[in-house]
Amino acid sequence: MIREALVWLQTVLGKGPGDTAQSWSEALLGSLNFWGLLEGTHLLTLMLFAGTIFVVDLRLLGVTFRRTPVSVVSDKILPLTVTGFLILIVTGLALFFAKPVVYYHNIWFRAKLVFLVLAMINIAIFHTRVQRNQSAWDTLATPPMAARISAVLSLVSWLLVIAMGRFIPYNWFDCGKPIPHIVNVLQDCKSSEAGALDKQDMAKLGAAKQGAAQ
Amino acid sequence: MKLNFEALLPGIRPWVMNLVNIWPAYIIKPQYANWEVLHILSLTLLGGAAILMNLRLLNVGITEEPPSEIYRNLRRWQDVGVVGIVVTGILIGMANAEKLYDSTAFVVKMCALAGGIVLTYGASRPVARADGAVSSSAKLWFFVGALIWLAGVLVMATGALINVGLYHVITAAALVVLIVARGRLRWIYLAGLLAIIAAQQGITHLAYAGDDIKHLDPINKVFTWLYAIWIIGAAVVRLFLTRREERQGAFVQLIAWSSILVWVTGAAAGRWIAFE
Repeated sequence: MIREALVWLQTVLGKGPGDTAQSWSEALLGSLNFWGLLEGTHLLTLMLFAGTIFVVDLRLLGVTFRRTPVSVVSDKILPLTVTGFLILIVTGLALFFAKPVVYYHNIWFRAKLVFLVLAMINIAIFHTRVQRNQSAWDTLATPPMAARISAVLSLVSWLLVIAMGRFIPYNWFDCGKPIPHIVNVLQDCKSSEAGALDKQDMAKLGAAKQGAAQ
Repeated sequence: MKLNFEALLPGIRPWVMNLVNIWPAYIIKPQYANWEVLHILSLTLLGGAAILMNLRLLNVGITEEPPSEIYRNLRRWQDVGVVGIVVTGILIGMANAEKLYDSTAFVVKMCALAGGIVLTYGASRPVARADGAVSSSAKLWFFVGALIWLAGVLVMATGALINVGLYHVITAAALVVLIVARGRLRWIYLAGLLAIIAAQQGITHLAYAGDDIKHLDPINKVFTWLYAIWIIGAAVVRLFLTRREERQGAFVQLIAWSSILVWVTGAAAGRWIAFE
């Protein structure tokens, strides 16, 4: 279901008549500079987004801005972080639109979304639970354990989101290659054009061939 | 002629080609992607610290604390970022040396790195440490750093296929103005910016065909200048609209601007190595 919708998004939406007509998605991917600018903007905005959220997390850990109240650090820095996040979402959605089916079958993209969701859940818990008694520890050099755990979870999850994002273009686990069964399942290779090829099966096949030759 | 390290140092190709076989490059090569992640993480540490420290010099951000306090809290993290990009950069650069030897974007990246280090450590950080007082050595380092950086910008602007990457620097400058501008100026500035974007899109998509590069190229170059003039104009207007007692000197603002944008230039050039 999801895959059919993405195939439509990639190959049909916006396509005019004629043999050389492109869908909007194909036109975006094939653009001379625009795709590159989107991708570059997505990467460069990490300086604004991750660079500032890391500082807020480090304050919550009690390792920087220890003399400045947590509320001052977050009130003044988070608007910058949110600005960066909005740019990342807009460019990220546009980049996804340029090759949705490719990302659908990409294990790193899927992992990135999982860690993104975890990061968001962590933020939600921080705002609804951890921050409830913030006035009690706002000026403390080292905030309480719950806030520090939130900060570590935030650091780790964003770090993983960035790492997974960087791995997306690598072809180590492309569908159709002999890859571990679990990866074939996780990125739904069976429904892909290249199909699913289990590494284990290939190894068995190779051993059987060798046996037959002897 | 293509301006790359081959043009600057023509005789060293055999040495460059052999770099991948030298320790530790042959160890790095199969782990390339992991080191790229570390390169990006270093960039975020460095960039985040540069943004916060220099925005404070533009009277934005943690204004409850003086610039020296921002400097004191972020300098070690920025140091980690700078050492991180250089070390991981050398490692992934050795593993990918021949491509960089042929790349014009890499020349830009090295100019931005050198200019960024000079501007950050020679001008921006000393000025932040002194709460906005500009010493004569900070002035000197600013001129040296800005010159190296602008040389890199010039190489990027004249490099085929990579000059588009300058739009990252323009976007960053546009964003910084949007962040530092207040009140009516912010809205006038934003409206003008959107009008230029609309005009550019309209002309390049409706008036000319998408493959009419002969016409589109000069039009886009004119628009690039329009963006630059509009953004720099807004920054100058903001400087004079700020109340005198709240205003950092024009020199401090110049240092702050260049010390953010130089790292954006380096990162943009780094990314466009792949698109060259």
